[in-house]
Amino acid sequence: MSDPEKEKEKPVASPPASPEALAKPAVADPDSAQCFFGEPLVGLDPTELNGSLIVIEGMDGSGRSTQIALLQEWLESEGFSVQTSGLRRSNLVGRDIDELLAKNAVTRLTLALMYATDFFDQLEHRIVPALRSGAVVLADRFIFTLIARGVVRGINRDYLTGLYAMALRPHLTFWLNVRPETAFAREFKKAQAISYWEAGRDMSLSHDLYWSFVRYQTMIKRELENMAKRNAFIELDGEASVSSVNKQLRQRIGEQLGIRASKYTPSSALAHLWR
Amino acid sequence: MTDYAESQAPNVSIARMDNPDTSVKAPPRPEASKTTLPQPGRPIPSRAYPGALIVVEGTDGSGKSTQLYLLKRWLEIGGYRLHFTEWNSSPLVKSATRRGKQKRLLTPTTFSLLHAADFADRCERQIMPLLQGDYLVLADRYVYTAFARDAARGCSHRWLRNLYRFAPVPDITFYFRAPLEVAVDRILSGRPKLKYYEAGMDLGLSYERPESFKLFQARILEEYDKMVDSDNFVVLDGTLPVNKLQKQMRDIVASKIDLKRFAPRAPEAE
Repeated sequence: MSDPEKEKEKPVASPPASPEALAKPAVADPDSAQCFFGEPLVGLDPTELNGSLIVIEGMDGSGRSTQIALLQEWLESEGFSVQTSGLRRSNLVGRDIDELLAKNAVTRLTLALMYATDFFDQLEHRIVPALRSGAVVLADRFIFTLIARGVVRGINRDYLTGLYAMALRPHLTFWLNVRPETAFAREFKKAQAISYWEAGRDMSLSHDLYWSFVRYQTMIKRELENMAKRNAFIELDGEASVSSVNKQLRQRIGEQLGIRASKYTPSSALAHLWR
Repeated sequence: MTDYAESQAPNVSIARMDNPDTSVKAPPRPEASKTTLPQPGRPIPSRAYPGALIVVEGTDGSGKSTQLYLLKRWLEIGGYRLHFTEWNSSPLVKSATRRGKQKRLLTPTTFSLLHAADFADRCERQIMPLLQGDYLVLADRYVYTAFARDAARGCSHRWLRNLYRFAPVPDITFYFRAPLEVAVDRILSGRPKLKYYEAGMDLGLSYERPESFKLFQARILEEYDKMVDSDNFVVLDGTLPVNKLQKQMRDIVASKIDLKRFAPRAPEAE
């Protein structure tokens, strides 16, 4: 490998870690401390990771999945290999969580731990291998949503932070911020319904579905706000048009990956997303 | 910012899992109030429930299950209110664990998390409610199994202690200690084939299952031994004859726990 190539990869290989963001690293090795939130993942050598981990956070209806679909197409057209991840997509427990949710037979702590299992299974079997191969990982939500969901249900914040101490620190974390009222309208339009969990019905906030949704999502939003500064969230106005949000995302990601300003219009397959 | 480092404390009651500041009814939440955790090794002064929890721990083949069974029979015959719970037995998590083991999807981290989910389910739905309902709860393996086994797989002690900090601290933890050779012999002679994770094959210690099992068990034994003092284990000699060991166990239970509390209520007392 030639030197200039190495140079180009360097900013990608070491995630930006603001010192105050590091929660008392358990390890003396500064390199691995930068890569993880708290302590190293068992059996992982962070120096092997060459790719970029890009996270999109935001509540249901904030436009995350739309943007990820567009970004994946854009990155692939730029010649980058892309891997995606998201909640409940692990081979290990993804389906089990779906079942637990459907039956509503699970307590808050068990559910939180099942989500953590799902997260780490994807981290170890999907995200890390992709990063090793130099791919760009687009994560549709990350530990921040999982922590927020636990905290609003009364699980100790430090407990959850500790649980996810071995998560990799993303290179970029975008937060698509929308008002719960807007999110409700978008979610409702999608399925002509609001699901039990989206509305936080398990929390008995209101018998009214709309108010339950708004209150629950407001609580989640407040938790994300708490985390935004410490974790260097890049906040974007999720109420702006799809194309304008996408443009901002491409600009920041382009800087990260060293992609020169490039024009992008979605292919016909994705044109329907480009409202 | 976080108090994660303090979470090493082994003895933390379940009540501490709750955020003091996230009552659903109180919307304005100013700053995250600081949770204070007891320092490592400091015992919990008061407990939040009237029941009692008795736990047996030890490596495979140490004789702990036999002994707990006999203790349970003794208490059952006496008519005491009790509940028996086993490690890794929650029906909710079972299918995931089975799939993970069959397909060998589990890493040290996910292995640990799945078992924690299993334990959390039993803890929230059986152990805690029964302790609050004034029951005697007997547990065949408890969080110390995870501390020993997962640490032997490479998980950090700090992370593991935090993971299980919702677990109520047992009233008595019996640790059945048997020399490695004895315990390994008992298992190898009684079991036709060791399972992959049981033998610790995922650690790559040896290609031979019996040999891998032995090396893995040695690591686990070492981890157990480290907890004897910090977690107040009552150490029993697993090589003693069964009935002699059971006598010791019953004596200790009777001296440490006020069994009358769990006795059947006499009808004539009405």
